Amino acid sequence: MTTDLHIRARSLRLLPALAAVTLAAGCASVPNPNPDDPWEGFNRNVYAFNDTVDRAVFKPVAQGYQAVTPKPVRTCIHNIFNNLADAWSSINSFLQGRGHDGINSLGRVLFNSTMGLGGCIDVASMNGSKRIVNDFGVTLGVWGFGPGPYIVVPFVGGTTVRDGSAMGASLLADVSSYTPIMAIENVPLRNSIIALSLVDLRANLLDADKLVTEVALDRYSFIRDAYLQRRKSLIAGQQADTGSNVPNYEDPLDEPATDTAPAKAKQ
Amino acid sequence: MLSRLIAFVPRIVARVTAAGVIGLLAASPALAEKPVDVKGDPNDFVSAVADNALEALRQEPAAKRGDIKVINALVEKYVQPYVDLEKTTRLAAGRYWRQATPQQRTDLTEAFKGTLIRTYSGALSRVDEVSALTMNPFRGEAGADDVVVRSSLSQRNGPAVNIDYRLEKTASGWKIYDLNVEGIWLIQNYRNQFADEINRNGIDGLIASLNSRNK
Repeated sequence: MTTDLHIRARSLRLLPALAAVTLAAGCASVPNPNPDDPWEGFNRNVYAFNDTVDRAVFKPVAQGYQAVTPKPVRTCIHNIFNNLADAWSSINSFLQGRGHDGINSLGRVLFNSTMGLGGCIDVASMNGSKRIVNDFGVTLGVWGFGPGPYIVVPFVGGTTVRDGSAMGASLLADVSSYTPIMAIENVPLRNSIIALSLVDLRANLLDADKLVTEVALDRYSFIRDAYLQRRKSLIAGQQADTGSNVPNYEDPLDEPATDTAPAKAKQ
Repeated sequence: MLSRLIAFVPRIVARVTAAGVIGLLAASPALAEKPVDVKGDPNDFVSAVADNALEALRQEPAAKRGDIKVINALVEKYVQPYVDLEKTTRLAAGRYWRQATPQQRTDLTEAFKGTLIRTYSGALSRVDEVSALTMNPFRGEAGADDVVVRSSLSQRNGPAVNIDYRLEKTASGWKIYDLNVEGIWLIQNYRNQFADEINRNGIDGLIASLNSRNK
């Protein structure tokens, strides 16, 4: 009963925020529609909401963490979470039929977990092993599922329908890089580790955040386009062998007088 | 938990904006200035440019403190001769380039240069974390005049970052015009932003918008 009440109280608190987001979404119009982002009006509003929450809560917490924790400790913690993610990457590489990548990631995990003291020191990278980032969304992409529209999820951020569903499903099924953490039976300890992983996540983005503010004309589309390009390249599997994924920019000087023709746009 | 999803977006963005640029500046330490052979092997060309730029930065404490004037001067001397900034800007503008007057083209290139230099100076704060830039074997065709040079930037305690440079062979030798960090091409990432701004406020609006960030 108490948990029931607790949940209800929580959702009541969230309601006004969600309502505001939904209402605002209805009023948005987009001057230059993007085929990858048909829900841009809605997304921009959720983005603004997330940004507000971030500036009020997550960013200050991450900055505090950065201020009180020595850098070697932070790096160690970050590497430990990366090591868990590598294990999940390895499984996904095998699911994608990329055995070489799978073995590579598995090797990283074994090496870093032992020689690297539980992942604290990234000895694999120091020895020239490349990290191959992977998740279930990439696996679905390799299996032939299209990304679907880009969507900004409240409190979470930008993703695509495919990648967001993949993440949601793998968390619900408890098969993700969080599986080892979820297996911890001591609940307060488990929750503390989850919280730490979130703080670690945000703290690692502080520099990025600052740079994007300095160099982006429009933060929203800068982040969106970077995300979509990145996901495409992960699915194409160009991590260990980048370079074949070269865009054709159609130099405006090369082909005069095609202004009237419909732009070929995306490959 | 779900925020792991967004996790890598800004992380990757950071790499685009920071590491890629560091890559150009922060190669393995060179003691003396290397000769840059603009008509030679593309891998050696990028490696030499990167080494020289980093060495110059190491010897300029004001640059490390983020003095924009000093960084500007260094970039002009060590990087600008080897990049084709107009091509970068032209490809980012895409078909809108044809609508621009020669004056607008010059102004747009100059305004975008400010953005790129800010990227450099932001990246410098991360130079300490970086240990070396290693060139990967060249995979392109030997005689091609549009090539991709691949490299990876290793860090002190963390995964290496993949950086590709796209080069064009011009009459005056190789020129770098685009770069890719962990799957994200710089020009590609500015195309929508340029188009949006031009659709809203025209080419002059885009120039003004870029310039307002340069102040």
